Amino acid sequence: MSEEPVDVLIVGAGASGAAMAWSLAETRMKILCLEQGDWMDPAQYPSTSLDWETRQFGDFALSPNSRRRREDYPINDDDSPISVSNFNAVGGSTILYAAHFPRFHPADFKLRTLDGVADDWPIDYARLEPYYAQNDRMMGVSGLAGDPAYPPKQLPLPPLPLGKLGHTLARGFNKLGWHWWPSDSAIASQPYEGRAACINLGPCILGCAQGAKASTDVTYWPVAVRNGVELRTRCRVREITIDENGMADGVIYYDAEGMECRQKAEIVVLACNGVGTPRLLLNSRSKLFPDGLANRSSLVGRNLMFHPYAMVTGIFDEPLDGYKGPTGCCIMSQEFYETDPSRGFVRGYSFEMLRGMGPVSTALWGMSSGRIPWGADHHQAYGKVFNRTAGMVVICEDLPELHNRVTLDPELVDSDGIPAPKVSYRLSENSTRMLEHSVARGKEVLEASGAKMTSAEAPLPPAGWHLMGTARMGTDARSSVVNEWGRCHDVRNLFIIDGSIFVTAGAVNPTCTIQALTLYIADSIKKNLANLFD
Amino acid sequence: MSEEMIHPRFSDHEERALATVLDQIIPPRSDGRLPGAGGLGLVRHIEQVVQQAPHLRPVIVQGLSALDKLARSRNPAGFVALSSQDKSELLSQLTASQQGFLPSLIFHTYVGYYQDARVVEALGLEARPPFPKGHEMEPNDLSLLDPVRQRPKLYRQG
Repeated sequence: MSEEPVDVLIVGAGASGAAMAWSLAETRMKILCLEQGDWMDPAQYPSTSLDWETRQFGDFALSPNSRRRREDYPINDDDSPISVSNFNAVGGSTILYAAHFPRFHPADFKLRTLDGVADDWPIDYARLEPYYAQNDRMMGVSGLAGDPAYPPKQLPLPPLPLGKLGHTLARGFNKLGWHWWPSDSAIASQPYEGRAACINLGPCILGCAQGAKASTDVTYWPVAVRNGVELRTRCRVREITIDENGMADGVIYYDAEGMECRQKAEIVVLACNGVGTPRLLLNSRSKLFPDGLANRSSLVGRNLMFHPYAMVTGIFDEPLDGYKGPTGCCIMSQEFYETDPSRGFVRGYSFEMLRGMGPVSTALWGMSSGRIPWGADHHQAYGKVFNRTAGMVVICEDLPELHNRVTLDPELVDSDGIPAPKVSYRLSENSTRMLEHSVARGKEVLEASGAKMTSAEAPLPPAGWHLMGTARMGTDARSSVVNEWGRCHDVRNLFIIDGSIFVTAGAVNPTCTIQALTLYIADSIKKNLANLFD
Repeated sequence: MSEEMIHPRFSDHEERALATVLDQIIPPRSDGRLPGAGGLGLVRHIEQVVQQAPHLRPVIVQGLSALDKLARSRNPAGFVALSSQDKSELLSQLTASQQGFLPSLIFHTYVGYYQDARVVEALGLEARPPFPKGHEMEPNDLSLLDPVRQRPKLYRQG
């Protein structure tokens, strides 16, 4: 089956695909987005039922290998201490993200210059700043101006509630004289652009039934579709096809019925995340590109960066009401963000305070940590923990390393028979030292806040939320996959806009940087339309 | 073919033994405000779990059988007739030979128990989903930021 050709074909309807569709819609080009998932129904999100905590082990599991929804593809991550977490739907992984929305720091774009490691980006913070601001307005970001950890910025909405838990931890940070600030959050603290305000449900990472969280199915997509973009769901792209000149001329995909279809396009844009994009490129082999499309540098799939996470938890004497409020958005600290050679590692990390745990999560955390035994002492131990925990995750900057990579699994395939990705990843010595440092500092601040007991897990195995670096950006075609505005060096009508193009990872959640980059690339496409392929 | 014919239910004997085991995992609360996991009727929850995950059924059935055999060496009336301390000892002892049995049961018992409305209420919470009512939270005290606002810029210029 062959469809009418389109001007722009976007693969993937998540954070970046949505922003690109919205931005390009004003050109009146014919734009189509193919998404392997479907529209989500917020009325079915876990927070609407009493078993909301349990569904994190089933249809809302972080890992596609556990979740096994029809829309998911398997990922072999056996050779990695960190497993991949994603979601496939209109909105992509923003359906399940915590909506923590910190920007990169200016120094995050200049690692080679400032710290002598990795590489500089071919663009800088100043270039992206207007796009960060534009994206903050589109997503509806809550936060507070004046943070000394950042250049000045204004956010459209006031900060979310810190709650008893956040206030308690803030006092601990103050006691140590450490930086903290209310989190920048893509969650509406007040009604915003047709979205209802957050009502502190708690489980943001299981979808937001209130619609306050800025997943792109409720932000960019409704506007993009209204402006003429076609979004075709349950369409899984197998490969990008090329013409005799080596230009992308469309894709082959499977529709909802599993029928093989062909879609022609003048421009192809990949927005499939740091694992899905290299998978698709590596699955697109041809005589001209025997090692995968746009892979003459041999860098497609290499330099995979996660953010190694640690989780540090404290148990307090007083109830903290931690089950109230957005799970991942409370306060953050960047006291240890910038490089300090005396710490024994380069670069740094962020602390992000978590809310407490619900009844089931408390029990299961107590089970795995040994704090809540079965048997005669169960109730007493449970009572000491429930509603008395507070903690944080640590997000460590990962540095790019060639051996950390995404390849194709020789055997594993998805439900359409398309080869699945395989992730091979090793934690570096630098990351290991950073994790150790962060856990010690995390325990210190929890104790300063009043915690009587602390515990930590590092690295956190299921924390592969942030997928970056596997089709890196650069000006030299020998050492990068895309140029400074997202166009593949090897295929001049093929663009990549997801986390794959990150040169380095920063130590913050990447979504707002992915989207700012996308809006910048979209603007570059619009400015260069007359000679886009030169 | 019905679901029950494909995956038969636990026998009455197995159910009684299972309820006893569940009460060992989470016993009744000493203040009498909550029954144990068996008394709460979580056998039905475990039954639902194994309907959805049939690979767990043999783990549980074989575990119960091994437990019964061990128990009869102490008391001919079987596991249910033992003292609480003996039951606890036997369960611990069983983990060496039936490795998946106790960890699986603990996990699913904790899940079933702490999402039960009676337990949630006994913890002082409303037994309801978070949506649509949500939660009220205290107003922010941003004066706590005063010392942070006094600090010089922390970021490096790129």
